[in-house]
Amino acid sequence: MTPLNRLLDQFLPAHEHSAARRFLVSGAVWFCAGTLWGLIGAMHLAAPDFFRGIPWLEFGRIRPAHTTIVLLGFVTSALIGATLYILPVVLRTKLYGERVANLGMWVWNLAMLSGCISLPLGYTQGREYAELVFPIDCLVVIAFLCLTYSLVMTVATRHENVLYVSVWYGLGGVLWTAVLWVPGNVMWRPPGGAMIGIVDAVWLWWYGHNIFGLATTPMAVAVAYYIIPRIARKPLYSHTLSLIGFWTLLALYTHIGAHHLLQAPVPTWLKTVSVIDSVAMVVPVATVLVNLWLTMRGALREFADSWPGKLIFAGSIWYLITCIQGPLQSLPSVQRHTHFNNWVIGHAHIAVLGFAGMTALGGLWYVLPLVARRKVYSQPLIGLQYWLVLIGVAGFFVVLTAAGLIQGEVWNNGGTVYRTLPMIAPYLMARAMFGMLIIGGAFIGLYNVVMTLVRGEPHES
Amino acid sequence: MTPAVVIIGSMALFWAAFLGVVVIPTVTMPDRPSDTWRATSAAEERGRRLYIADGCVYCHSQYVRPQDWAEGAQRIARAGDYARQQPPLLGSERTGPDLSQQGGEHPDDWHRAHFTNPRHTSPASVMPSFSFRSAAQIADLTRYVQSLGGKDADLRVARQQHWKGLAVAAYANGPDANVAWIHSKVPEVWRKMPNPYPATEASLARGQRIYELYCVGCHGPSGDGRGTAQPYLDPPPLNFALLRRNLIEGKYIGGVLYYQIMNGITGTAMPYFKTQLESAKIWDVSNYVAYNFIGYVDYPLRTDQIDAAYENAEPPPPKGFVKDQP
Repeated sequence: MTPLNRLLDQFLPAHEHSAARRFLVSGAVWFCAGTLWGLIGAMHLAAPDFFRGIPWLEFGRIRPAHTTIVLLGFVTSALIGATLYILPVVLRTKLYGERVANLGMWVWNLAMLSGCISLPLGYTQGREYAELVFPIDCLVVIAFLCLTYSLVMTVATRHENVLYVSVWYGLGGVLWTAVLWVPGNVMWRPPGGAMIGIVDAVWLWWYGHNIFGLATTPMAVAVAYYIIPRIARKPLYSHTLSLIGFWTLLALYTHIGAHHLLQAPVPTWLKTVSVIDSVAMVVPVATVLVNLWLTMRGALREFADSWPGKLIFAGSIWYLITCIQGPLQSLPSVQRHTHFNNWVIGHAHIAVLGFAGMTALGGLWYVLPLVARRKVYSQPLIGLQYWLVLIGVAGFFVVLTAAGLIQGEVWNNGGTVYRTLPMIAPYLMARAMFGMLIIGGAFIGLYNVVMTLVRGEPHES
Repeated sequence: MTPAVVIIGSMALFWAAFLGVVVIPTVTMPDRPSDTWRATSAAEERGRRLYIADGCVYCHSQYVRPQDWAEGAQRIARAGDYARQQPPLLGSERTGPDLSQQGGEHPDDWHRAHFTNPRHTSPASVMPSFSFRSAAQIADLTRYVQSLGGKDADLRVARQQHWKGLAVAAYANGPDANVAWIHSKVPEVWRKMPNPYPATEASLARGQRIYELYCVGCHGPSGDGRGTAQPYLDPPPLNFALLRRNLIEGKYIGGVLYYQIMNGITGTAMPYFKTQLESAKIWDVSNYVAYNFIGYVDYPLRTDQIDAAYENAEPPPPKGFVKDQP
């Protein structure tokens, strides 16, 4: 074996599940980094002079680092890791191109590391959720193209003729993200990476909403669709419902970005389309949840005994809350009270951390022992992480929604933004405290992951 | 479903949506400047890059909605206000005020104090300090913020600069001449208007709350004009004790305080508060300033004369100075 081959085997191993395992570990690492940035941001809002004079800890630089690293680094990495295991299993084959998937893993982590450093240093395109600069955008697209290639070829070389619903969502999640990233970041116009004039807002929010709807949501749904029937030891309740959920998600989610711009100077017809389709999003959400929950019916005992099961179930509850709240707050009459304030921040946290994040953690703890061929180091530590994250997210939801309602009502009654700051100060303090619970959960999770890989009891299958 | 159905079907829906809600708006929305739009200068563009780099957009929106009130809400946003901007910085959150019409709302020295530490001018602000930016960079940021609002902002900035010259000159003439100049800008009817609210304990307590939230950064906790913003401001904030020997006709001060708080003193760092504070709150903080820092109030400590201003009669004779020393 030449040194080059050894190096290749070290970094781009071909053995089964290596890419899935590394993506899961990446997710656990970025969970810590992303929430740490989040806590620093929350502390700014509670005590603005705490980090005074440190440019790379300034709020406006930390915030994009927090959102990018949590959404992409943590949630997306962990979901990809679970997907890379689940898809070959339900297709009765091995992952095609383990080396290519590993290449994607390295490129993806390089992108996350670059983002985690470049955003605090002030390198940004200034567009929410599309902040990463052009070279990092290229890394993201390359990573997703590697994954798309690997998964498409896995499907092509499958031994199972029927495509299970997780395959549609898992394949879709990486494919759609790869093709969404290019127009979303206006990648043909570096270095600015933006359209010119007000129409850029239309591009940005079409992308900004789709990055949740077409990247994290499908992959989280793919994971839930696999793990819930496995834990329940029952077949999926309905194939028809999963078909309806899949196609309505695609047909509707792709139109609703303009509900972020309801009071901005963009065409009214565009806002109308976005509101109608936002309300109609109840259909895909309800079909997916009814399908999952009816699969669980009569098997709650199994979920009570399984921490991954509890995490996935909690994720599905947050999906329900998020997707009842979402359509409601897209209504112009509701948005008069909720836009521009902390209500929306609360919504974003239950969507990304509550729904997608807890589902990703469920996927991580379900799949990690299978791909590492070791038992989880400590089940009680998963339980501790579960409660810390659950209490943290629930606390976020309560205090941020309350703060948002205060802001919205004061503004609508003629009060200034400045005047609401002392009113929401206690809520922002509480938010920072709940954030510490979530960070605690992240670090406990990382410890548990590392100990599983190092000290976990080996097992077969 | 077959893989081809999943891939081709989803791509068809995806690109159809892109065509419908992205391409069609792009083709049908012209990038045509609005009536107040103007091109940005090199310094403003440098400031805009700093605004993007430091993520100001995460707390400050740049569009005013039809339902908005108060600061910045002079003009509902129009598509042409964002012409040539790459990207337009609309924002999605208002932890701080909307900035789309911020140009000329404050003079440059107010911004210098505020960027250095926002608590200097706005004690309740949670904005980060930008003391890590150089003086030249803060100057560029100031130029950018002063350009927001386009041609309207230019008119406001020019007005600030015009009055700045007069205010600095008046300050150079000495304390009493300066107060006389400031008083002379208040219309006659306001100068002789007594505070219609008696300086009761309740009024003073409310006034203190307002003072701590809006005034203490410049005028200081003892009203001597030495708040933490003072070193940045030219002319510096007023020492209220000066008003003790400059009452109007030896007996009125409430109306002057109300008028100046309501409208601000253009050219100086004193902003107008008419969009921030309701009438009763301005009278209360006037009472607080008068009682604590001037030592004289128009209606001392009585609770039975709130409607006095409506009686169209001479106000009751002043009860004199409420304290020997302010």
